[in-house]
Amino acid sequence: MDQGKAVSVQDSLKTDTKKWIQLKINNHEKKLEVDPTTRLVDLLRNEFKLTGTKISCGIGRCGACSVMINGSLVNACLVMAYQINNASITTIEGVAEDSSLHPIQQAFLEEGGFQCGYCTPGMIMAVKSLVNETLNPTDEQIQLALSGNLCRCTGYGGIIRAVKRVIAERVII
Amino acid sequence: MQKNQEFYKNRRRIRPDGKAKVTGSLSYLTDLSFSNMLYGKILRSSYPHAIIKSINTDHAEKLYGVKAIITHKDIPGLNRFGIVTPDQPVLCEEHVRYVGDAIAAVAAVSVEIAEKALELIKVEYEVLPILDSPEKSLEKDAPKLHPEGNILHKAGFKTGDMEAGFAKAAAIVEETYQVPRQMHAYMETEGGVIVPEKDGAITVYVGTQHGYKDRFQLSRILDIPEEKIRIVSSPMGGSFGGKDELNIQPYGAVLALVSGCPVKIHQTRKESLIAGLKRHPMKITMKTGVDSEGRILANQVNIIADTGAYATLGPAILDFSVEHAAGPYMIPNMVTEGISVFTNNGVSGEFRGFGGNQVTFALEGQIDRLAEKIGMDPNELRRRNIRKVDDPGPLGHRIAPTNGAYEVLEAINKKLTIKTNQLKDSPPNDKWKVRGIGTAITMHGGGLGYGRLDPAGGRISLSEKGKIEIAFGFEEAGQGILGVIETIVTEELGCAPEDLSIVIGDTALVPSSGSTTASRGTSMVWHALQRMKGAFEQQILNKASAITSVSVSQMQLGRGGVFSITKANSYALLLTYDEIAKQINENETIVVSTNFDFPTTPDPVDGGHFLYTFGAVLAQVEIDLLTGKVKVIDLDQSIAAGPVVSTMGYIGQIEGGGVMSLGYTLMEDALMEGGKYITENLDSYLIPSILDVPFSMDTEAIEQLVEGDPYGPRGVGEIGTVAVAPAIAKAIHHAIGYWPTRLPISSEEILFASSQRRQRQWIKVRQ
Repeated sequence: MDQGKAVSVQDSLKTDTKKWIQLKINNHEKKLEVDPTTRLVDLLRNEFKLTGTKISCGIGRCGACSVMINGSLVNACLVMAYQINNASITTIEGVAEDSSLHPIQQAFLEEGGFQCGYCTPGMIMAVKSLVNETLNPTDEQIQLALSGNLCRCTGYGGIIRAVKRVIAERVII
Repeated sequence: MQKNQEFYKNRRRIRPDGKAKVTGSLSYLTDLSFSNMLYGKILRSSYPHAIIKSINTDHAEKLYGVKAIITHKDIPGLNRFGIVTPDQPVLCEEHVRYVGDAIAAVAAVSVEIAEKALELIKVEYEVLPILDSPEKSLEKDAPKLHPEGNILHKAGFKTGDMEAGFAKAAAIVEETYQVPRQMHAYMETEGGVIVPEKDGAITVYVGTQHGYKDRFQLSRILDIPEEKIRIVSSPMGGSFGGKDELNIQPYGAVLALVSGCPVKIHQTRKESLIAGLKRHPMKITMKTGVDSEGRILANQVNIIADTGAYATLGPAILDFSVEHAAGPYMIPNMVTEGISVFTNNGVSGEFRGFGGNQVTFALEGQIDRLAEKIGMDPNELRRRNIRKVDDPGPLGHRIAPTNGAYEVLEAINKKLTIKTNQLKDSPPNDKWKVRGIGTAITMHGGGLGYGRLDPAGGRISLSEKGKIEIAFGFEEAGQGILGVIETIVTEELGCAPEDLSIVIGDTALVPSSGSTTASRGTSMVWHALQRMKGAFEQQILNKASAITSVSVSQMQLGRGGVFSITKANSYALLLTYDEIAKQINENETIVVSTNFDFPTTPDPVDGGHFLYTFGAVLAQVEIDLLTGKVKVIDLDQSIAAGPVVSTMGYIGQIEGGGVMSLGYTLMEDALMEGGKYITENLDSYLIPSILDVPFSMDTEAIEQLVEGDPYGPRGVGEIGTVAVAPAIAKAIHHAIGYWPTRLPISSEEILFASSQRRQRQWIKVRQ
């Protein structure tokens, strides 16, 4: 498919307020001039073409845009460019190690943890954050950790099975 | 899940689209970008009902970065859309009938500039009285929303002598049930990119549930031949019926043609909520009588549906409700009357369950109330009225023989006994928590029904690249049609997944297969393969035989290519598919196509279905008496829909459908006041989160069909949503003795009902 370069959101603003920021995205150093109030989700999707981070509600309710900033889970629709200067950001594109799938991704595949897949990147980021922080999460901890990520397809059954599998296989990330 | 029958060997495959989904590398159509791409925004009406006096775009046109502004004057062809009846203006000329009505659209170099331009468009309105309920629209002097008036459709069914039935009844229950305006809430809101091509052609990269239908509608709107329009409609981040009708396509297409640039439109959640379809709110009154033995003697049903401003599939949805008003029961005397009424409340339309969910909440509610009234176990009452294998369908029409109704009833009853005993043995140890269990059953027709164009088809070929190319005009919205196609084709042909190239969702590449709706995809893929596989195998083997001189009878298709089966127990690869493809000369093809219709009843009953699925639901609730909060702790389903094709897909549909209806029952309502939405995003329109659902759910598949059934696996996209609400309502009654009649059931009413009940007990004690 012919996918050329998008017209940048920033290009059109014609303001003099742009600032240089530098940050790491999936361990790659980046430096760019950007309007300080640009949302992180737009930066990721439009500037860096990292479209794995999705946008669904735009108000921090659904978690489709979940990414990690310095290891902490956040909604990328609620973060602005000025807040991420010198930060290290991990998106879904940075989860798989080398060319092989991360065990969480593998579990989602094998347990039916997704259907349409639109919540999946954010959901996987939330699961990664959970297993990073909690060695052996209880059912309640699983529910709390994923309560900010909405899925309309699965009813969460497959997602819960995937998370349980990740935990059962004692995969330490 | 139980394994009742081995249908296919490997039913637990990883979906072909899985890896791209879990890595985030899958490009949804809203992720695409093209060079010189503009961003489109649509100006919707400020009022739910008004006359447009003037539209002034002068100021907006001068804004730097604006490349195109369109109003109704810019629509080249028919300024209307609608799958069956084109009654919805693409861009309103004069009359606006709901807050989602579009008046103008802008393409600009950025989203921000397009939004700013919308603010600069001046529209003068003359506000009209708002018809915000069907009752208001039906008043004698109500303003007419459409030239023919405010009634979209009437439907009815009559059998036997209803009054005579009621005269003999030992108990009669009459109740009015009200159901809400549910939003599909697909995670990916409507959007995509429309790209102008050479010679006035366009490519539309926008999700839909029937690419060819979009092409037909856009051809009419743009006044360009269908052949010049290519629809790429897959993948989608969910649809559930909500993207079946056109949404942003016409605006993107006209803007692209006017500006000469690709135009991307991706609606925000708020824009999606305001413009998008919803499930029909209905008010259903049922009067039902039984004799002392629990036999249903008569049922009188009255349905009023709020269809909103435009038709879309409103008539078919009402027909479906009328058809399913008897459910899986044999009711000798029945009168059903339905009316679907235009209002200024949004647009109601196609949504998973298609009118079945509403009427099943009422019908199963009646069964439970009647059982209580005559002191009978509700499932015993169901058993005494349940349809048998060869009984006619709910409109008295012939249907494919099935014992599904009885099977799901018995299956759920077993689960009920077990859960009831468990609850008795270990009640909650919190005195402010009470639990209850309820069950409900339903039947649900697949396909579009008698008298409706419902064609299906597919194509299988050996491609130049040596792949077995299987092509259908279906879309992947998340339901798993790609996994279904891979399973069916590899199992039927014996080839490997790597041998396949699956092509869907692109009118330039696929044959027409009809719509990806009405639980028809799985069923139609299976039917198509039954029709095509023999001829396809024959063509490949003939070619292999011509190359190798081995007799056709001594070869078969396998993983990677054609195998020789010359000697006993020997199974050797003779030719790979690639080798065969390389030997195909110019005037030769290996391709088989099929066209057929979804099976319908032989009886001329409009909309009557032929293939039905059956579902039974067990819900257990825990009610917090201090807050009125209802928590569903069990949501188990028994489903009879023929053989399972894909285990994960099947369970996912039933669990996911069940939870969607849990939301319908307890949480979801797109609230409107005076024709305007009050809930505008997912912070006020709440859908179930992981904290709102049972931590584990059980799906039981009853796969056995009646002997000799030739129709194969049925689709399960909808059945898991249909009987959830009445099961939860019954569980609430079991817990606190209160019958909910209105969805979503609120904490306030539960708190009120349970405190009333405790008060009564207290008064009793005091006396």
